[in-house]
Amino acid sequence: MNSPAQRIVSRIVPEPGFRSHEVAVKVAEVALVHEQLVQAASGLSAAQLGWQPAPGRNTLGMLLAHIAVAEVHIGCVVLRAERDSDIMGVLGIRMDDDGMPLAADGTPPPRLDGEPLPFFADLLERALAHTRAACRELGDDVLGLEIVRPPRPDGSVRVFDRRWGLYHMVEHAAGHLGQLQALKHLLP
Amino acid sequence: MPVYDLEIPRGRSHEAALFLAEIDDQTRRLFQDLKGITAAELAWSPKRGQNTIGMLLTHLAVVEVYWLAVAAGRFTPAALKKSGARDVAEQEFRDVLGVGPDDDGMPLAKNGLPPAALASWTYADYRRLLGRARVHIAAQVLELTDRDVARKVKRVRLNGEHTAQSVRWILYHVLEHFSGHYGQILLLRHQYADRRKK
Repeated sequence: MNSPAQRIVSRIVPEPGFRSHEVAVKVAEVALVHEQLVQAASGLSAAQLGWQPAPGRNTLGMLLAHIAVAEVHIGCVVLRAERDSDIMGVLGIRMDDDGMPLAADGTPPPRLDGEPLPFFADLLERALAHTRAACRELGDDVLGLEIVRPPRPDGSVRVFDRRWGLYHMVEHAAGHLGQLQALKHLLP
Repeated sequence: MPVYDLEIPRGRSHEAALFLAEIDDQTRRLFQDLKGITAAELAWSPKRGQNTIGMLLTHLAVVEVYWLAVAAGRFTPAALKKSGARDVAEQEFRDVLGVGPDDDGMPLAKNGLPPAALASWTYADYRRLLGRARVHIAAQVLELTDRDVARKVKRVRLNGEHTAQSVRWILYHVLEHFSGHYGQILLLRHQYADRRKK
């Protein structure tokens, strides 16, 4: 039997202070995937975070910034059911500063140029704090309620519920985590 | 009108049933994104030592069957008194999926080549494989109770190392693991499309 120091224990502990157990579990999952992101990026230099594999392709820094931007947006328009999101007010960068989606021959956004890992870790921390605040008072009764977004320029309308919003935060961050891990292998 | 919600199946635990709805949603979206993919693209690797989409799809099937077997207690030290973890895994995967635990070829050695056995697999073959895995785990997931979800399971890894996970973490991990490789599959599709541009 291995000693306790060698044992690896993995748990999702529902975060305290939420009205809904389901929400508390999801917030714990978002927090864990953020930890995994920062861990996966640890040791990377600003130059590596800004390295672009080819024109039109995302940098590691863009992926990290995009996760933070997306989560604040979901927090505002889905969890809080607000009409718009205040990305600048929460993160200190604009919604477009992640540079995504890049044009086919696009280059990385200047706003992220030269930014080191603590900058991106701070964006993720701010996004998580925003998510926690947006979730605190959510009860089970509002998780499945339809939230209808204003029509898009093409006339289409998107409909969400908060349960989907929380699930999307986890799978979206995890999807980009997988890409970050793969891109690390391509670093020159 | 695009509607984003989750159809939660009826299960003994809402939390476990929600996980199933989430991973089914991921799979549905993955299949949409892979529609029309050729056997050549499934077997393509950007360079030696890097995974193919086919390897990742096989790995997803193997991993979900594995972790739900862990949740069911088939890899506890007590359950492994008579046989090793690798033997149990081999049996489990062959029975459910028809492939072995190493048939995904992962992790590849630094200069490794994709497993030859997958070279001729088509998209339909991978969909069948993932379908078998999902049918198998769905039955288990829907039987989990809230108490089961909170339970901690001790595990002997295939390399003999001892670890412990809560079933709640296992469900989270199966989902984030799926999503992570889904993200990599999308990246590989871009790389495949760009492979002649230099």
